[in-house]
Parts: sequence; structure tokens; C-alpha cells
Amino acid sequence: MNIWDVNIWPLLIIAKSAFIVLFGMNLGVLLTWTDRRQGAMMQDRIGPNRAVIWLPTRMVQAILVLGALGATGATLLAAQALRPEEGAPSTLSALLFGELALFLSWFTMVLIASGAHARGARNSFDRFATGLAAALGGARFIALAGMLAQVALFFLIVASGGGEFGETVREVSFGAGAALFGLAAVGGSLYAAVSMHDEPRVGLRLAGLLHPAADGLKTLFKEDIIPPGADRLLHSIAPFITFFPALVVLGVVPFGDALCFDTAPGQPFTVKSLSTLISQVDSAGVCPTGSTTFKLQALDLNVGLLYFFALAGTGIVGAALAGWASDNKFSLLGGLRAASQMVSYEVALGLTLVGALMVYGTIRVDEMIQWQAQNAWGIFVQPFAFVLFFAAAIAESKRIPFDLPEGESEIVAGYFTEYAGMKFAMFFFSEYIAVVSSSALMAAIFFGGWHLPFVDRSAIHVAVGDTVYLHYAVSHGAIVVLGVLGFILKIIALCWVQLSIRWTLPRFRYDQLMRLGWRTLLPLSLLNVVGTGLVILLLQGASDTVASAVRYLANLSMALLAGGGALGFLLFIKFMMKAPNKKQLLSSTSAEYAQARGGTHSRRMEA
Amino acid sequence: MKASPLGPRGVVGTPLKRPDRTTSVQSYVPEIVKGLGITMGHFFTNTKEMVLGQRNDPNTEAIADGINTVSYPEQQRPYPERFRGVHRLTEREDGSPRCVACLCCSTACPAQCIHIEAGEYPEGDKRRGYERFPDKFVIDELRCIFCGYCVEACPCDAIRMDTGIHPVPYDSREQFIYAKDLLLKMPGRKNDHVTENPRHEPGEATHPGIDRDRH
Repeated sequence: MNIWDVNIWPLLIIAKSAFIVLFGMNLGVLLTWTDRRQGAMMQDRIGPNRAVIWLPTRMVQAILVLGALGATGATLLAAQALRPEEGAPSTLSALLFGELALFLSWFTMVLIASGAHARGARNSFDRFATGLAAALGGARFIALAGMLAQVALFFLIVASGGGEFGETVREVSFGAGAALFGLAAVGGSLYAAVSMHDEPRVGLRLAGLLHPAADGLKTLFKEDIIPPGADRLLHSIAPFITFFPALVVLGVVPFGDALCFDTAPGQPFTVKSLSTLISQVDSAGVCPTGSTTFKLQALDLNVGLLYFFALAGTGIVGAALAGWASDNKFSLLGGLRAASQMVSYEVALGLTLVGALMVYGTIRVDEMIQWQAQNAWGIFVQPFAFVLFFAAAIAESKRIPFDLPEGESEIVAGYFTEYAGMKFAMFFFSEYIAVVSSSALMAAIFFGGWHLPFVDRSAIHVAVGDTVYLHYAVSHGAIVVLGVLGFILKIIALCWVQLSIRWTLPRFRYDQLMRLGWRTLLPLSLLNVVGTGLVILLLQGASDTVASAVRYLANLSMALLAGGGALGFLLFIKFMMKAPNKKQLLSSTSAEYAQARGGTHSRRMEA
Repeated sequence: MKASPLGPRGVVGTPLKRPDRTTSVQSYVPEIVKGLGITMGHFFTNTKEMVLGQRNDPNTEAIADGINTVSYPEQQRPYPERFRGVHRLTEREDGSPRCVACLCCSTACPAQCIHIEAGEYPEGDKRRGYERFPDKFVIDELRCIFCGYCVEACPCDAIRMDTGIHPVPYDSREQFIYAKDLLLKMPGRKNDHVTENPRHEPGEATHPGIDRDRH
């Protein structure tokens, strides 16, 4: 049997499930670290970042230089391949090489200049770089000039058209871009290699990202303590009962639009079938008949959201069991607190979404996203429900300001007081995975899932009302990739907001928590259901004028999102360019000594 | 009847204004958004300054706007001028120790951590008969209480605690025993091994003491 004829469909299913599990777990691990790191950054500390793997200097130098040479070689080869036999290179390839080279150049210069500024000039090249940066107005202005040059190049290439001038521009951008790319890559890596010359070894730190890995390893090898009076079986399975549902609820969340392959559904799906990805799909939301649909969703369940709520409810059992099986009064109290809190907020959590379910008319998450892609994002349709759901979701993951099941001053660590090592880490970890999965659900229900404003199923389609401003066909595969990236970004942003809430709000008292759940969130979510029902009924009987007005508003909301995103990006650039307000004041002999040393330079500490 | 200026309960002072219970406060959400804005603002500003290397120098820009956290131990604040750090033995201009082994410091030491064994200069040396030199000069830094009495007691400005270095932790007791050679190698705040006070050697015209050639 030929390997090309093997049916790889089961492998694809396993691959997408593995992707979702790994995504949830890795993001959960990252969040355990980000939470502490972010809390530190808010207080102008650095946070946990000292984990390091030491590498021999010669090895790092070799990797840097050889890597840069390899990248340059690959770029030149790609340039050779992309270059047409006669005539100027295409706009796209000219843009690609020119912009990439410009970006790498200014970025390398900024890195060198700001690095030399931060740790002090170490050699004559450092002095040259800092001097040059100072002459140009600092590293910020190099970045600004670089970005402006990028924008200018973009408009130059796009506007120069197909005439002789345009051909020259594209020719220069293509050739000089490839050369500059090589120069910047090799120059930057040579600089890095030379500047680490004196050091006996070089630490691989990845901006502190190794820290969660070190923490995980540590907890894995720690002693696992089961109290003598505990129920050994229940004590051991409770962390798994908490951990498992938090992770598997991600299964119903679609990470991207369905992929359509031009292979008949009955046929075996071979490696070659992967190349039959249909590039243009109409915006009906389904694949053409006679093609295979590959959903980017691990569990294609028709109960959709109900599965989420059923499993989220299972998490309660884990916490309650852990509290009961530990044979400790603090644990028992914590377990009871956790159970009653989660049961209370489970009600609000479900009811807040009823309004959204009524609007979308489905409980399948993928169909909800399709509804939002065709109309408006859920945050505009159900803003009130979003606030309620957000509060209930934080309470459900037992995080600050609702972290009543734990409390050092009251009941030690609550239901996981008697847990050590990896079992403790699993409780800790499942809390963060619950953050990830609730963020994923919120992104899917209220923020359009994988949908990006004005990105159709196979085109970028900018239209408000009946006016079409731009229509640019893009292959469906590229749009799906864009959508998956967008969805992951939305999840990360929502996780980040949840972490920020942790560092902002003080915690509730237990009675306040219960009052908020039963006497505020529950009635408000019921009101939301009633209100949504009334609006739906009114719109059903409304005239065509009202319907088209609603449609116009929906399009406007997309324009608002796109405009807000662009504005946010510009504001971000402006913020990054803002000069810090500094005043020098030598008020003590200590400061004078620091000044005599050329300022305070930080030294790297070892883990 | 006229109202009492002190109020009905006779209390002096203005009553504190109760916080307003406006709708926006009572509905939590606007206030939460405001609070989030503050924390996120701090996060973005600090992260940006950290990434772009724009953080305030915690020592020289200490009263400027923003937070000035010293990320100890990566960053350290130099100790002030009068800080009593690890001892050093100062040198004369010819590089020999200024110490004349008078034992004033070891006598003054309340912790008895200084041990000195005096040696005589060889026959023919101009200093022989006027002063001695420390054959051994040992300080147990683990026993030292950093009171600075030895520096006060020294008549020759030979022992000083102006290194600006705090006692360094070691993993064995032997390493805390600082012998003469190490103490002589310790630099002062200006990274030198001498002191500001000039020394007048026996035989020089500026030497204030009894001169056996003149008397």
C-alpha cells in the first residue's frame, strides 16, 4: 500500500484535538507566570524572570552567525526564485523585500542603541552606536524614522504604478531590500556575537519565559503528601476532577472557520487531498456540495454550550471533594465555600447567556460565530449580558475579587490546604485554564470568535449599508489562518483583562459575594432575557425601513471596530514614542557615587 | 435659642464628608473600569520604560516623576559616604602599610576581632626605632560588629571602613578571616589605596615627632 493513499483524516482529528489541548495547557502555564510578572510590572518591579539555561559562548556565537548567514542565503535564494525572467519584480515581492529589510534594519539599530544605552558602552562600536543614536535624537527617533520610511516605501511602490518609474522603484526595492536584509541580519548577529566575546557563558532566558517551565519541573519533583486521616483515593482524584473539565470545555470552541477540501466526502482523505483546499468559498457559511468540511473544533456537538455548562459544573465536584477528603477543617470550609460559590454563579452564568442564545437562535458555538460574522459582534448585541457574564465567569474561576474559597487570613489555602507538589499545582493550574476557557468562550460569544471586521469568507469586503468601499479577494485558507490568529489574540487579550482585574480589585466578603450572585446577577440576567425577548419580538414585526436601519447599524458597528483598532494602533505608537519625563537630582552622597559611576547599571543575577 | 458653634454634641472640627453614593459608584462597573484604567496605565508605562530602557535611574533621578524602584540585587544603590563597610588598610606613598602596629584598634575593639603581631623594621631602615609594622594583621569579619571604634582609635589613619562594600557572605568561616594582604588590597571609595591625610615619614622635614638626629 502506498503511503500517499493512507487515509489521514483520523490523524487530522487527533492533530486538532492536540492543538486545542496544548493551546489550553500552554496558555494556562504561561498565565500562572504572567499573572505574577504582570503584577510586578504594575509596581515597577521585574517579577520572576531569573530562570536561565547556560550555553557556551562559542556555541551561541556560532548559532547566531550561522543562523544569520543561513537566513541571508535563504533570502537571496528566495529573491532569485521570485525574480521574473524579464521585467521588474511584482509589487508584492518588491513590497515584501523592501519592507522586511527596512524593518529589520531599524529594529536592529534600535536594539543595539538602546542596549548600549542601558548597560553602558562596552566597546568602541557601542560608543559609536550610542553617539549615532544620540545624534539622531535617541533610539525612539530611529524607530520613528524607520516606521515612516516603511510607510513611505509602501506608498511609493503602490502609487508609482506600472510605468518605467514604477518598474525602477520596484527593481530597487526588491534588489536593495534583499541586500539590506542580509546586511542587517549578518551585521546585527555579528555585533551580538562580538559583544558577548568576553563572557564565559551566555544565558538563554527568553524574557523570563523559562520560569514557568522551571516551576513546573520543581512541583513535579516535590513530595506528594497525603494526610494520614485523608481518603486516599478521593484526595488523589480530586485535582484531576477539577483539572479535566476546565481543559476539555475548550473542545466545543471553534478556533477558526471550517476548511473546505475539494474531495468527495466518501473518498479516503489522503495527503494529496490537503492540496485541494478550495480557495474561494461563497459567504453562505457552508462548503460547496461534494466537498469535505474540516471543522477547526475538536468536538462538533449539537448541544454546544450545554456541554460547556455541564462540564463547568463538574469542576464543583473536584473542589468539594478535595475539601472533604483532606480531613482538615480549613479544607472542608474551603470546599464548602467553593461549592456554594460555584453553584450560585453557575446559575447566573447560564442565564446571562440565554439572551445571547435567543438572538443567535442556536446553542452551537460555531453557528453563533457565523451569526456574528454576518450581523454584528455579540458585544454590541448583548453588552449588558457581557458584563454580567464576565463577572460570573471570574467568580466561577474563583479568582480575585471572588477568591473566597482561599484566604490566608481565614482558612489558609481553602480546599487545597492539604495538597502539595504537583497535585497542588494542578489546582493552581486549573484555575488559570478556567481563565483561558472562559476567555475563549467570551471571545466566541461576544467578540465574534475567529471573525475579523470586514473579512469575509474569502475576501476583504468593506461595506457599510449598500455601499461597497473595497473588495479584495483573498484565498480562503489565508483567511482561516488570519481568523485563528485573531481568535488567539482575542483570547489572550481577554485573559489579560482578567489578570488586570486581579491586580485592581479588593476581594468581597462572603455574604457580599452571595448577595451579588443571587440578588444582583440573577435578577439582572432574567431582566436581560425579558428585554432581549421584547426587542426580538418588536424587530420581527418591524417594517423594512427599521430592518435596513438595524442592518446599517450592524455594519456601522463593524466599522467602529475596525476604526477603533486602527486608532488603538496609532495611539499605541504615540504612547511608545512619548518621551519620559526625567529630572536629575543628586540629593545624597549615595546618588553622587552613582553618578560618578555613570548611572546605575543593572547586573544580571543568576537563578 | 442660638445653635452652639460646637454642634449638638459639642465636637470641635469639620465633619468628614461621606463618600458620594452616586449611581455610577453603586453600579460598580464604571468604577471598576476606572480602576482597571489605572492599573493598566501603570502596567503599560512601566513595561514600556523597562523594554525601551527609559526607566528612571533609581539613584540619580530619585525625585523625578514616576516610580523609582531599585531592582535589588540586579541594581544596587551605592552606600552613602559615611557608611561603615568592610575594613581596609591604607598605604603610604611607597606602598607599605601606614599601620605602625600600635594595637590601638585591637585594644579599642569591643568584639576583639582584630589580631596584630608587630614586626620591627630591619637594621638601617630610617623608621627603625620610631615605629613598627604589622607582621600579621587579621580581622575576623564574622566577629566584627562594624562599630567603627578601630577607625576612631587609629592614630595613623591606617585602618578605614570607607570601602563602601557591605560584608560579603561566604560559605565557610575561614573565608571571613581577612588577612593583611587582602585588607591592603581593598580599595577606598575613590578606588585608591591611600588617604587624603598626608603622612610625614621620619627623617622628613615635616615630620612632627622627635628626631633622634636632631636631638
